[in-house]
Amino acid sequence: MVETIPANPDRPVLEVRGLTKTYQDGENTLTVLDHVDLQVMPAETCAIIGPSGSGKTTLLGLCAGLDDATSGTVCLDGQSLENLTQNARAALRGKSIGFVFQNFQLIPTLTALENVLIPLELQGQTLGRSTAQALLERVGLGKRLTHYPHQLSGGEQQRVALARAFVRPPKILFADEPTGNLDSETSAILVDILFELNRENGTALILVTHDPSLAARADRIVRMQSGRILPEHRGPQASPARP
Amino acid sequence: MSATVNRVEPEALPQSFLRALLHPWTWRMAWRDTRSQRSRLALYALSIAIGICALTAIYSLKSTVQEAINLQGKSLLGADLRISSRRPIPDGLLGDLAGRVRAGSRETSFSSMIGPPSGDRTKLVQVRALEGGYPFGNTVECEPQGSWERLRNTSGIVVEPSLLEEFGTSVGQTLKVGTLELPILGVVSNGVPRSNRFSGFAPEVFIRLADLPATGLAGEQSLAYHHLAVDWEASTEPERASLSSKAREALAGKSVQVQTPEDRKESIGEGLDRSKEFLGISALAALLLGGIGVAGAIHTHIQKRLPSVAVLLCLGCPSHFAFAIYFIQAAAMGLLGAVLGALAGGLAHSLVVHLAAGSLPIAVNLIPSPGILLLTAAAGFAICCAFALMPLLGIQNVSPAATLFQRPAPNPRANVLRSAVCALLAAMVWGVTLLNGAGPLRAAAITGFMVVAFACLAATAAGLIRLTRALVRPTWPYLPRQGISNLFRPHNQTLLVTLSLGLGVFLLLSTWFIRGQVLNQLKLDTSLHTPNVYLIDVQPDQADTIKSMLGRLGLPTIEDTPMVTMRIETVKGMRLSPLEAKQPAPDAQPDTQRQEVPRWVMEREYRSTYRDHLNSTETIVAGEWPPQKVDPNEAIPISVEQKLAKDLRVEIGDEIVMDVQGVPMRTRVACLRKVDWSRFNLNFFMVFPPGVLETAPQFHLMTTRVPDAASSGQLQRTLFKEIPNVSAVDLTSLLQTISKLLKKASNVIELLSAFTLFAGVPILIAAVLGGREQRVRESVLLRTLGASEQQVRTILLIEYTTLGALSATAGGGLSWIAHLAAAKWIFKAPAQFEPLPLLFAFVGCCLLSMIAGILIGRGVCSRPPLEVLRQTAS
Ligand SMILES: Nc1ncnc2c1ncn2[C@@H]1O[C@H](COP(=O)(O)OP(=O)(O)O)[C@@H](O)[C@H]1O
Ligand SMILES: [Mg+2]
Repeated sequence: MVETIPANPDRPVLEVRGLTKTYQDGENTLTVLDHVDLQVMPAETCAIIGPSGSGKTTLLGLCAGLDDATSGTVCLDGQSLENLTQNARAALRGKSIGFVFQNFQLIPTLTALENVLIPLELQGQTLGRSTAQALLERVGLGKRLTHYPHQLSGGEQQRVALARAFVRPPKILFADEPTGNLDSETSAILVDILFELNRENGTALILVTHDPSLAARADRIVRMQSGRILPEHRGPQASPARP
Repeated sequence: MSATVNRVEPEALPQSFLRALLHPWTWRMAWRDTRSQRSRLALYALSIAIGICALTAIYSLKSTVQEAINLQGKSLLGADLRISSRRPIPDGLLGDLAGRVRAGSRETSFSSMIGPPSGDRTKLVQVRALEGGYPFGNTVECEPQGSWERLRNTSGIVVEPSLLEEFGTSVGQTLKVGTLELPILGVVSNGVPRSNRFSGFAPEVFIRLADLPATGLAGEQSLAYHHLAVDWEASTEPERASLSSKAREALAGKSVQVQTPEDRKESIGEGLDRSKEFLGISALAALLLGGIGVAGAIHTHIQKRLPSVAVLLCLGCPSHFAFAIYFIQAAAMGLLGAVLGALAGGLAHSLVVHLAAGSLPIAVNLIPSPGILLLTAAAGFAICCAFALMPLLGIQNVSPAATLFQRPAPNPRANVLRSAVCALLAAMVWGVTLLNGAGPLRAAAITGFMVVAFACLAATAAGLIRLTRALVRPTWPYLPRQGISNLFRPHNQTLLVTLSLGLGVFLLLSTWFIRGQVLNQLKLDTSLHTPNVYLIDVQPDQADTIKSMLGRLGLPTIEDTPMVTMRIETVKGMRLSPLEAKQPAPDAQPDTQRQEVPRWVMEREYRSTYRDHLNSTETIVAGEWPPQKVDPNEAIPISVEQKLAKDLRVEIGDEIVMDVQGVPMRTRVACLRKVDWSRFNLNFFMVFPPGVLETAPQFHLMTTRVPDAASSGQLQRTLFKEIPNVSAVDLTSLLQTISKLLKKASNVIELLSAFTLFAGVPILIAAVLGGREQRVRESVLLRTLGASEQQVRTILLIEYTTLGALSATAGGGLSWIAHLAAAKWIFKAPAQFEPLPLLFAFVGCCLLSMIAGILIGRGVCSRPPLEVLRQTAS
């Protein structure tokens, strides 16, 4: 069982040290991540930008325990991921992590409401309907509860995904190019909701994006190139966000 | 502002797979996940149903046919149970079991001279005085019709046709049996089993038991045998068999010989046992074909659900829950398929029985037994679950990272699990083979072969992937390059198609080959060296006269063997004389060893021969023959037939003292022989070495072969005129009965192999089409990029034809090996090279996968690309 430690404002919710990921392709070793160090404090928002193929998604996946690193450590919410079994990692994700993907990743056979309910059901909660409904109303989909993903537009699907991510407020939310498949107008609405929910829940946010204007809304911006993190420079709100 | 971090922790999902399986959420997810898929899932269930349909039909027919074969065995005995004794059989011998007797029929049989009243011609015959409905389960062929039945309530005599010839008399005339003159009611040509195969090869005549006292021969009854033929009040073979074995137990220790149909089946040889084995093999083939169907369907389904699994894992779903969700779906499909399949299989059974009514051995029940339907539905369901495990393991391979990247991450646990599932499947195959009557070792050998076949096919697929990857050059023309590249590129169908198609070809061809081998064994050996007439009671000095007489008649002397009658005095020092211990006290505890030896085995008369070689129907199973030295002062080495040795509880080296017409003779078991009783050559339970029995009083037994009834009659007449003490026993009617039986068994086997073929082909088509979605998606992309219909089709055709040809080659090769192995170890006969089925399978398999390629191409080209793209996107 994963212990839930109340968000300690002085301890990073995510701590990455010397994270390296390589792929072996016959003779060649392809280094996708090269000794990456990263710290994210509770409720902090952090944008990761960089050219395509620079390793952003890989980093995100490793941070969330979706994949195994070649070397280095990831400490998430006080838990060292290397030592956890797949199921323990899944349990940790269910408790502390939220996701928003570029391609939405809703389950096609479930309605909007059911998709949102999944994280609650996975925790054995059966009474979350009203919470989920309220969240869907909040993201403007109060009338689309029983619609299936293929009946929703991309922006709407992503809003369902947002509601799903926040139905059980996570300590840290990973968003991999959440607006990458959306037009700019739809993006703007979505990003507003994202930051709003984020602030309200005190969730830390790791946001991978191509969009400099979106990145600019984060507390800090991490630049990646060829699997390395470039020296950091602070965003407009120059100090780690504290509620 | 931050929400309160006051989270009430509800009970999380359970940790074990079993509890996950029972968790309501799993069931809810399993149900919800079928939305928009239900018609497709129903289709998969249908494909499962085809497999189970085949299984049910074959099993159902198999048990029916087995029942029929057993009934045929019954027709060789004319009863479920036949009790014989030197003393009259008392009423109430069967005790409690008497209540289960539907009908009983008494008989007293003995040898006697009979002849026409004029008295100038008499002949030694076996007189059988009958009462009751014997033989049970047979129709007696007699001339004029109904004369057999008339014998039950009319005084008279029914004889074998040859006797009329010999006596120069006809139906309606009379024959004198003892002091009684009886009218000849008719001749019986077929359907009355011989009284005893091994004693008394005299012609048989039948009278009423009620007339026996009037013949005045009752006094000779000390030499008579008394029989009771029993027909059980039972409808199924297992029931009958269990009643018979209960009776055997109850009668053990009483001075009676008990025979069941099983004891007579040896005269049909191993052909029928092999047929049963074949039925088992075809059931196994059907089962595995069904398994291929199941695995293919579940694979296709799971492949499409993998992205959803990745999402669930991302959201914190433990992988055993994801597994449980799809396991439930697979099980539900399996259940649906099993029920539908069992029902369809039942219908198929009825259809086959209806269509083939004439060629089946007995009036088979048109309606399959509900028990069998239930059993196969349950077995089918279990098989479904087991075969579904393999593709379901794909879920274990899903990494949550698949939500971010389009790739599966290898999961080391899956390999362990995969091996576990393989082991489970192998165990199931072993179990089924065992259930089908193979011994544990043979079952293991068959299972091992299946595993090797599977591995070979997988290796072939892997080899093809490597080979094509190495071969394809960018300089190749576009279409072949694309088609061949499809074989190794990601998402290739190579392994799936090679496995299912290759296994399918392997199973179907093996079934076909083994069918041929069984049919071969079911052919009665009617070569010139198989005798059909025995000449008995030949004095040693008459042998040459008879040989020359046969020569004059143009008939061969096939065998000429001396024969000495003897009895057993002691076995391993233990004596059992017929007079001692008539009724052992109920609480007496005689030494167990002797108790187990059936009394009749000890009491009967043995006709033994002596020779220094084995004949063509004998094989040594232990010891050696002829023995190296025969020392008249030592125990004489003899060869004992293996079944008798089992009954006598003797092994190599054990001593048996024989009573050779008053002279005790110490013998030692030096050799155990297996005898093929189905060849009607002269065979003996005990064979002595030369140099021991020459001086004992003896007869000769000679055999010949007559081409037709007329020459049999001529032989009888000539014998009667020239050497009246010698009788000719014509076995042709028995041989006819057996050959009819074998013909029917052959028909059944033809039928079942055809059925396996018909059920197998659609399963294979479904399996090959299983991977089509991936190809459709790619082909639509090609279309979108401007490929012509022709190009898309050609690419698919090249890919699928290559797969078909390769699978056929691999499967064909494997089945050939199986053929050779079966010939060597199961049938012990040389395997015939059969190029035609191999060629046919090759062409068929190529065609089948070509058609699949064309069908997929049509699916792509007949619809607008956008529609397909949108459908396959979600
Ligand atoms: N399975 C793999 N094998 C080899 N290379 C891979 C694999 N997965 C990802 N990569 C490589 O890793 C690099 C980083 O990928 P990714 O993290 O997706 O980049 P980004 O998200 O920044 O666009 C890419 O160059 C990609 O080609
Ligand atoms: Mg990326």
